Amino acid sequence: MKLDMVHDIQRVYRKVVDCMSKPGHINNICEEASRIDLDIDFYNSTVVLMLMLLDPEVSFKIFSINEDKITKLVNQLTYAKAETVENANFIFVLRDTEEANIGKAFERGYEGSLIDPHSSATIIIESGSITKDKDLILSGPGIKDKNYVTIDLPHNWIEKRSLKNTEYPLGVDTIIVDGDSNLLCLPRTTEILKQVVK
Amino acid sequence: MTTRYNFAFFDEGSKREIRRATLKAIAIPGYQVPFASREMPIARGWGTGGLQLTLSLVGKEDVIKIIDQGSDESVNAVNIKKLVTKTTGIQETHNTTEATIIQSRHRIPEIPLKEGQILVLQVPIPEPLRYVEPSEYITKRLHADKEYSGAWLMLFEQIMKYGNMSTGADHPVSVNERYVMAPSPIPRFDNGKMNSSNALILLGAGREKKIYAIPPYTKVVSLAFEDYPFEVESFEDKRCRICGGKAVFMDELIDEKTGEKYYQCNDSSYCLEKLKSELSA
Repeated sequence: MKLDMVHDIQRVYRKVVDCMSKPGHINNICEEASRIDLDIDFYNSTVVLMLMLLDPEVSFKIFSINEDKITKLVNQLTYAKAETVENANFIFVLRDTEEANIGKAFERGYEGSLIDPHSSATIIIESGSITKDKDLILSGPGIKDKNYVTIDLPHNWIEKRSLKNTEYPLGVDTIIVDGDSNLLCLPRTTEILKQVVK
Repeated sequence: MTTRYNFAFFDEGSKREIRRATLKAIAIPGYQVPFASREMPIARGWGTGGLQLTLSLVGKEDVIKIIDQGSDESVNAVNIKKLVTKTTGIQETHNTTEATIIQSRHRIPEIPLKEGQILVLQVPIPEPLRYVEPSEYITKRLHADKEYSGAWLMLFEQIMKYGNMSTGADHPVSVNERYVMAPSPIPRFDNGKMNSSNALILLGAGREKKIYAIPPYTKVVSLAFEDYPFEVESFEDKRCRICGGKAVFMDELIDEKTGEKYYQCNDSSYCLEKLKSELSA
């Protein structure tokens, strides 16, 4: 079955809106992702997000061991331009990349300017499983009291992200997807604390 | 349904651009994200910002409610509703609770919004500093510096002139303790409903080409001074002539025969629902 570029993309967009407005809330896009019939080594859900976000008006950067091959594919699929990590509007950090590249995406991604904070990068990360377990405590706009999530990623990304987002409204927004097509958003306003077990 | 338009009127490229701007707007509460406002089959200033947001959001499963100053059946609401339903084939409703997307001009419904609902507000002038600074180039820099003296001065001058803050509608609010934002010309009565709302609130200004947002559970405070606190329109002792409702935003009307003043709920669907439930009880 083929992905419906109108209705499937709309459904995914609404789920992303839902996640972005309620950080820590997990939505699943498995149904839509299963309609991707490409021979690829990364998540189908990432392709759906690429199709939802990218077009010739924006640029992207891929972190992957197959960076060249995937960059070419994404360019052919969306006509978006490949850019350096410092200048890309969307940075995709794929599961097969080195751990250090997650930190690099946060360190070097564009945080916007005080006049145009919306020009900042959005970082899309492929992670291991995302669950509602209480590893990370989230707070900020969109969260009633506190939200809890566990994201299977090497932990140093949290410090790098927090450093990047220190000078609000400057900062990067993050979308995280896992292998089961679970989706989670962390806008720059979300504060993340690690649960300490005594 | 056969239609010569793409689903939800727009081409997918237009939707994509509006969607990207909307996601950034949600991520930076109260900040006005510029977007390439499209030409619409209704005139700019008649809700094109709200309409573009609605069309970029809407899907086959949605149920839409569109209101204009509390009324589901005024010309503006009906026209927009017809455009949305004819190009999508989706269900429309008057019932606030049933709707998944509520597009509104100048009111937030009386029935509290639920989590998962999206309120889209139409905005004529999104810039809260526009009355004191005509240049967009400068107001963008004032927002960057969190320099909101102009907004405070506007309120101060109103107090000097009239003895109170005389903003009839569109009373500026501070969002997430960072951006001062125009809440669209909703009455002051509705400002409180934006604070820690259950629903996502999106605001679209088509003519001014801006999208901004308030995510759920976000702190929204109406600007006020310690000695001149923010006050909402008071409808104490007033009851709706139709449904008997009180403590809601009301229209003041004059009976043409007797010349007497009377009050009526501004939110017509709230009024009808209340009347219906009382009649069936």
